[in-house]
Amino acid sequence: MTSPRGVSKQWLITLPSLAWLGVFFVIPAVLIVVTAFRPPDLQGGVGSGWTTETLQVLRDPAYLPIVWRTAWLSGLTTLVCLALALPVSFQIARVGTRMRQFLLLLVVIPFLSNFLIRVFAWKSLLHPEGPLTKLLIALHLVSEDAMLLNNLGAVLLVLIYTQLPFAILPLYAAAEKFDFSLLDAARDLGAGPWRSFSKVFVPGVRRGLISAAVMVFVSSLGQYVIPQMIGGASDEMLGSKIAQRVFSDRNLPHASALAAALMLAVLVPMLIVTMWQRFGRKEAAS
Amino acid sequence: MRRSWFPALLTAVVIAFLFAPLVVLVTNSFNASRFGGEWEGFTWNWYEKLWAADEVWESVWVTLKIALSASLASMALGTLAAYALHRFRSWLQSVHSVLITLPLVMPDILMGMSLLALFILSGIETGLLTIWIAHVTFCLSFVTMVVLGRLQDFDFTLIDAARDLGATRKQAVIKVLLPLLLPGVLAGGLLAFTLSIDDYVITFFVSGPGTTTLPLRVASMMKTSRSLPVINALSTLLIASTFLLAALSFRLQRRA
Amino acid sequence: MGGFLVIDHVSKSFGSLRAVDDVCLEVGPGEAFSLLGPSGCGKTTLLRMIAGFERPDSGRILVAGQDISHLPPEQRPVNTVFQNYALFPHLSVWENIAFGLRMSGRPRDEIRGGVDRMLELVRLSEHAKKRPAQLSGGQKQRVAIARALVNRPQVLLLDEPLAALDLKLRQHMLMELNTLHEQVGTTFIYVTHDQGEAMSLSDRIAVMNAGKVEQVDGPEALYETPRSSFVATFIGDANFFTGTAVEHQHEGYVRVMVDGLGSPLVLSNGAVGSNQTLKLMVRPEKISLTLNRPPSGERVNAFPGTVEDIAYFGSHTRYRVRIGEHRVIAQLQRSRFSGGGIEPPRGADVWMSFHPDEARVVRLEDAA
Repeated sequence: MTSPRGVSKQWLITLPSLAWLGVFFVIPAVLIVVTAFRPPDLQGGVGSGWTTETLQVLRDPAYLPIVWRTAWLSGLTTLVCLALALPVSFQIARVGTRMRQFLLLLVVIPFLSNFLIRVFAWKSLLHPEGPLTKLLIALHLVSEDAMLLNNLGAVLLVLIYTQLPFAILPLYAAAEKFDFSLLDAARDLGAGPWRSFSKVFVPGVRRGLISAAVMVFVSSLGQYVIPQMIGGASDEMLGSKIAQRVFSDRNLPHASALAAALMLAVLVPMLIVTMWQRFGRKEAAS
Repeated sequence: MRRSWFPALLTAVVIAFLFAPLVVLVTNSFNASRFGGEWEGFTWNWYEKLWAADEVWESVWVTLKIALSASLASMALGTLAAYALHRFRSWLQSVHSVLITLPLVMPDILMGMSLLALFILSGIETGLLTIWIAHVTFCLSFVTMVVLGRLQDFDFTLIDAARDLGATRKQAVIKVLLPLLLPGVLAGGLLAFTLSIDDYVITFFVSGPGTTTLPLRVASMMKTSRSLPVINALSTLLIASTFLLAALSFRLQRRA
Repeated sequence: MGGFLVIDHVSKSFGSLRAVDDVCLEVGPGEAFSLLGPSGCGKTTLLRMIAGFERPDSGRILVAGQDISHLPPEQRPVNTVFQNYALFPHLSVWENIAFGLRMSGRPRDEIRGGVDRMLELVRLSEHAKKRPAQLSGGQKQRVAIARALVNRPQVLLLDEPLAALDLKLRQHMLMELNTLHEQVGTTFIYVTHDQGEAMSLSDRIAVMNAGKVEQVDGPEALYETPRSSFVATFIGDANFFTGTAVEHQHEGYVRVMVDGLGSPLVLSNGAVGSNQTLKLMVRPEKISLTLNRPPSGERVNAFPGTVEDIAYFGSHTRYRVRIGEHRVIAQLQRSRFSGGGIEPPRGADVWMSFHPDEARVVRLEDAA
């Protein structure tokens, strides 16, 4: 593999995907950061010259509550998804092969159905004239003029709904490899069902837990369709602002500054996890 | 040992939660009521309206064109990428691997926004081509992951065996590796196809005039309450086709 | 060079590891030959070099006088039965066996005839249309052998051919392989880590250790006169004693001074100088245990000891006997214990003895 022929062959096979991602993934990402230092022009493009003025908009105090809302909504979504996905992946992994494949299919199918349609479905479900509202009113659980839609709770609910499979799938992949006789051993040694689940199973699927957390958190950070369709005017997330800057204000540098900030927020948790896993692996090896 | 019933119950609840909105959609598509709050009788009305909505079928055609070409391209690129990642261990493949993984966790809005920036700055007009490029970009990583999983299960002594029996390197790849890899490549392609049909956010950023894909069409229909029940009908058809595709890919995976 | 397969000063390194270190071997035509050794001894690397999957760093490999060292695997007159069979899962049994003939572009009739004949030879004709996944372990193995033999190779390589089978099947396939070898008369090269397998399958065995060949001999010679303590322990069990040669006697016997064991008399098995440090080897089944001291008139080495531990194996019983600092393993068949019909219990005082002809002097360089 160190022969010149081996090297050139490797490059030949690697080049197509490498070049594609270089041109259409890396360069665009770099462009965003670069554009954040350019002035806007009036046609929705990018003006000439360099400026740090665009970055100043990030210090606009109006953004602070949006950033904070984006962060805690994503964090809470992650926590709830993990709490639900842990017992579900545990259950799927411990049943027989046929049942397991069936359950997995049940989890994946809603996930593969069109994202927009799923959000739309929640919109009609939560609609004031929709079935859920009517049911809750009939049960006297909410008042006649209750608004299930257009509030933060609804945004959180739909966020959890759309992100849940992102949590179940990696956790299931880890649970599938988990040695379930360890649970028998824990029970044998006197641990109750809850303790053997929390002290043996959960640490056993730690890696899946981490990748599930990163997947859900990062993907939640970038949402804008859900707050836009389900939430009210005051429930915007960072993504909503980016879309607004691009399509309503046609101010690309301003949007880029926000996007660059979001990219940083995405990369930092991933970097931490990667480092932690590298470090953890070394620790386990020694 | 008695098993706790709690995980089983919770799993049932979660699956019900996942399906509830879909069930409501499907039911409402046959409901004579416009808002679907109450059942006002069975109707094919919304499907007839959908059938007559020419702009929807135009979008279906656009979507299929993009999905088919994007999944073919990402199958070719992804299979090569997976082979390279599996075959070689080097700094190049470490970089390659990071590049393949990052799009999987990149939020859609960033990918759409950054591609839009690229197209604007390089003066490429948004349209079919830019949508296709965007779709290939986000499908590529998924195809690579599926094929890579397949390659990791592949027993490379089979290649040795083929060569031992007189096959040249090329013949061994054609007669042994490719036929055994094919179900994985097809499953990856199917996943890419589904993702491409599904995508709204990225497509929204890089689409141009006259290139309204189905999700974009649905989004614009949502703005007029008159067409809401038609969306129910359309959604039902889409969910049914997702079921079919999922069953097909399930078959493909299992035949291996 | 009279060999049919000749390994001529072959070496191969992976990084700093010398996997195969200057190996020379000659295998006759039609011979059943084994490469035997623990994992990592280089036997698999040597096999892969014969098959063509690895190139030697130096040295040559010849088959029937032709140097094949630099041919790719597909051009060598050698076929392999892989350890896990490596049957093509997407092809039927019939197509698996036909693969090699198709690759060499034989006419259709010849392929059909050859494959059918092979299926008959391995008694799998009724399974021709099945996929490998539908076969049992033993059947898979027979397909793998047929797939290799149908190409009429000049040398057939078998990599751990029985390792993937369970015990019962293994013993059955052992017989089948021997019969098959007689029927086709091709040179068979086995690679195995199992000494029992090697002994019952082959005419000659090369015992390998750390990339080198320790000894090449027939099964009996390897067991009876191992030339190193590695060979002695790898093939069967052995008790070792380190001592110094003190006194030569007539007919090639030598007296060896061993600490705590007096000076037993042994067959010197070659030149041994006086005051030379050497190692004695006695197989456990060559040792006798008696309650009373054996008659001293015969030239028997006898030492008093205590039974420390007993393990019953059905066909035989093993004893661990403590003699001063030494612990000796003795293996007795029930009838061989001459203590008046009772077996010595744990803690019993016994006499351990062996005949000078049953002890061996093994190579001195590994006396350390």
